[in-house]
Amino acid sequence: MLTRLTGGRIVDPSNGRDDIGDLWLRDGRIVARPDGAQADETHDVTGCVVMAGGIDIHTHVAGTNVNTARLLLPELRAATAAESVPITETIGRLYAAMGYTMVVEPAISPHVAPQAHLELADIPLIDTAILAVLGNDDYLLRLMAANEGGAAVADYAARVLSGSRAIGIKAINPGAAAAFKSNMRSFGLDDAVPNSDITSRAIINTLQAATETLGLPHPLHLHCSNLGMPGNAETALATMDAAGDTRLHIAHLQFYAYGKEGKRGFSSAAPRLAEAVNAKRNITADIGQVMFGQTVTISSDVLRQFNARGSARPRKSVIIDGDGNGGGIVPYRYRKTDFFNAVQWAAGLELFLLINDPWRVFFTTDHPNGAPFTAYPDLLALLMDRSVRAQHMETLPREAMEVTTLASITREYTLPEIAIMTRAAPARLLGLADRGHLGTGARADVAVYRTQPDIAAMFRDAALVLKDGVPIIRDGVPVARPFGRGVTVRPEFDTAINRGLSDFYERVYGVSHAAFDVPGAEVLGRSQAFEAVPCRT
Amino acid sequence: MTELAKAWLNGQPVAPARAAAAAASLLAASRSAVLAGLGTDVAGARASVALARAIGASIDHMDAEAVFANLEVMRRAGWIVTTPLQTRARADVVLLVGDGLLEAWPDMAARLALSEAPRVTGGGRQVVHLCPGAELAESTATPRVMATPGPAIHVLPTVAAGKLVLPTLAALRAIVAGRNTSLDEAAAASLRNLAATLTAARFGVIVWSSATLDTLAVEMLCGLIDDLNRTTRFAGLPLAPANGAEAVTQTLTWTTGFPPRTGFAAPAPQHDPWRFDAGRLIASGEADAAVWISAFSPKPPDWEPTIALVPAGTAFPTPPQVVFEVGCPGRDHDAMLFDPALGGIAFAAASTPSATASVAGVLAAITEALPPC
Ligand SMILES: [Zn+2]
Repeated sequence: MLTRLTGGRIVDPSNGRDDIGDLWLRDGRIVARPDGAQADETHDVTGCVVMAGGIDIHTHVAGTNVNTARLLLPELRAATAAESVPITETIGRLYAAMGYTMVVEPAISPHVAPQAHLELADIPLIDTAILAVLGNDDYLLRLMAANEGGAAVADYAARVLSGSRAIGIKAINPGAAAAFKSNMRSFGLDDAVPNSDITSRAIINTLQAATETLGLPHPLHLHCSNLGMPGNAETALATMDAAGDTRLHIAHLQFYAYGKEGKRGFSSAAPRLAEAVNAKRNITADIGQVMFGQTVTISSDVLRQFNARGSARPRKSVIIDGDGNGGGIVPYRYRKTDFFNAVQWAAGLELFLLINDPWRVFFTTDHPNGAPFTAYPDLLALLMDRSVRAQHMETLPREAMEVTTLASITREYTLPEIAIMTRAAPARLLGLADRGHLGTGARADVAVYRTQPDIAAMFRDAALVLKDGVPIIRDGVPVARPFGRGVTVRPEFDTAINRGLSDFYERVYGVSHAAFDVPGAEVLGRSQAFEAVPCRT
Repeated sequence: MTELAKAWLNGQPVAPARAAAAAASLLAASRSAVLAGLGTDVAGARASVALARAIGASIDHMDAEAVFANLEVMRRAGWIVTTPLQTRARADVVLLVGDGLLEAWPDMAARLALSEAPRVTGGGRQVVHLCPGAELAESTATPRVMATPGPAIHVLPTVAAGKLVLPTLAALRAIVAGRNTSLDEAAAASLRNLAATLTAARFGVIVWSSATLDTLAVEMLCGLIDDLNRTTRFAGLPLAPANGAEAVTQTLTWTTGFPPRTGFAAPAPQHDPWRFDAGRLIASGEADAAVWISAFSPKPPDWEPTIALVPAGTAFPTPPQVVFEVGCPGRDHDAMLFDPALGGIAFAAASTPSATASVAGVLAAITEALPPC
């Protein structure tokens, strides 16, 4: 089957392309224009922008914490929680309608990976992957306490990645969840897990080293300590320094972009963080933009969520002292009239606009923590049109705008920059060579947007989306319902690690470490096998 | 469905495909059907949702009352909970509450290593069983709480008048919070000892089964856990209800947004624990067709199903019009099931694989046999 998209503006920064022309697809792949061949199917996309399918590297769409949020908030479904914690069917439909063809659920503790994969298997239309969370798990802390060395940690991490069918490693406030079980109520970069000398800093460096030893395409994905606290920009800056020259991805940087300036002791420190990111080529960051409205915060930073219980709206929350990280579910409403929320909103936009390399800044709301992913089209409008920003700023508390630099920033994102930030860079960050671009041989995941003055409308309902070459969306509406793939890494490791793990699990937990392994695609109800991304050699 | 699947139509053995077609026409002809029981695995729950959506039926689980005893508390006020592994590895104080713990989880004492010290944190472990019932019949007559670590489970009966659990829990919470109770001095003294043990815990866990505690008791325990967390760490370990309820509830939640007792007659699913109670729908005549799904237990419901998916040996007083024999998930066929020892959904390979049909297979065949709408 040969398909031709004709007349569109093809924006494909990976291949240096931005011109009006044709795109040819055959059997699920992008192909060069075939000599003399006739297309079986032609889509006239004149007046449209053509990009690779979008890839979201950080969105909480599956797993026990997300499902607990669904159970906790049935009353919000009629309002907005249908978007904050949509069901599997809706997740696939809404993402695809926006031209996204792959998402990464970034916070799955290995012991609950089977449920996360069952949920992902029920998301139609798009490809999915998970990050496995380490850093508060008893076994890693034991390896570190016993000075077992980097090779043992790398083997353990590889065993976890393979058992949980993950694409990379995430650490979430490393050490804090373990410390909270011993009743510590705050935990910083240089605090040690009780009864040990293991600091958050040491855990970060250990997991960075394991990531590099295994050659994982994705760098260590880190949720830093002190999330949401005034003055926590210092934590983020210290964490970037702690990374040394090794790659590190910092998640939802906006939630660490706070200073203590101003009358209320809370201000945006985004310019300082942006400057640091600009200077450090080994650092990447997604933003976790705040948008106003009702949402629910779903985080495996159990300590932070416990401390945030008082801010719950409606007034209820769930805290889970889980294996490894656990988590907390705290519903929350970001209000335009709230000074702090307005500063958060501005700080996120400052980060987007002041980090000058679109290959190292990633487009997220930390769904649903800053806002549901359905706010993406509105966020794109804010980034691409400064008059839209100005209109919004006028509706926000003036004293909040005074502790940010947002009003002084004139930058507007271009379409090629958007294509980098939402497609090309995510594919590169995850090691997905055949995604995020439209070059010959790429997977035929293609999004077509109708150019129009209303940028949010343009990106909300894609004119056409193809997944593996098959049209799945027309004018924002699904026209087919295939299921995507699960994507993983399969690093090699010394299976001798299984002996130590088995002994530890039987003795400490009374169960087999292999009992938590995620079974094959068929058992999960997936129609397609898992796809493995190669490690670097 | 495999060739070997067994099925009966009006009491006579028939080919499974014929039974599926008969079940489909019964359901297609019904105005308001209910899928009840729902004793099944993740695949069976998914297939139940697909069938319910196709015919506009509602879905209930046979242990929904136990599901809601916990869930009503959780979604009204929230809670703080932990896992069996963390309980085993860390809890220096375990408070068991009420009856039915060993029925809910026969291996509980061994799996939680109640008689051993917690391995991650070290030190001792104290275990107190408050308000126990028949399962600890050998319990001492004199309530006592040992102050030193030891292997035994120390039993503290209900102390409130009438042997009621809720007033005992209310009194305990009041004492922990430093408030007065209406108990007599002897009763209050035993609870004061327990309160001192709880407040001195470093990582305490309260274990209960919602099959025997009601919503008010669960709410009291969750409130007690909240109070204890002001100064130390405490969490709950609610034991999962029977018949696969936990994995079914989870599956329904990610596929429909709601736990059991959800209806699919409208374009968007509607959830109402009273309205979609299968027993009520059947007794009131609102449901004119009922599918009974029970892969774990041959015990029939106390009403007459139209269609049943049940294990061999199920004896109905009046046989349903269509009966399918189904295998047990994790025994006859591979399954994704909630495992109480792991605290989550996990893969359960078939222990003695057989060709008996799965709930998911039978329901898919019925759904496929529905007339096009
Ligand atoms: Zn996140």
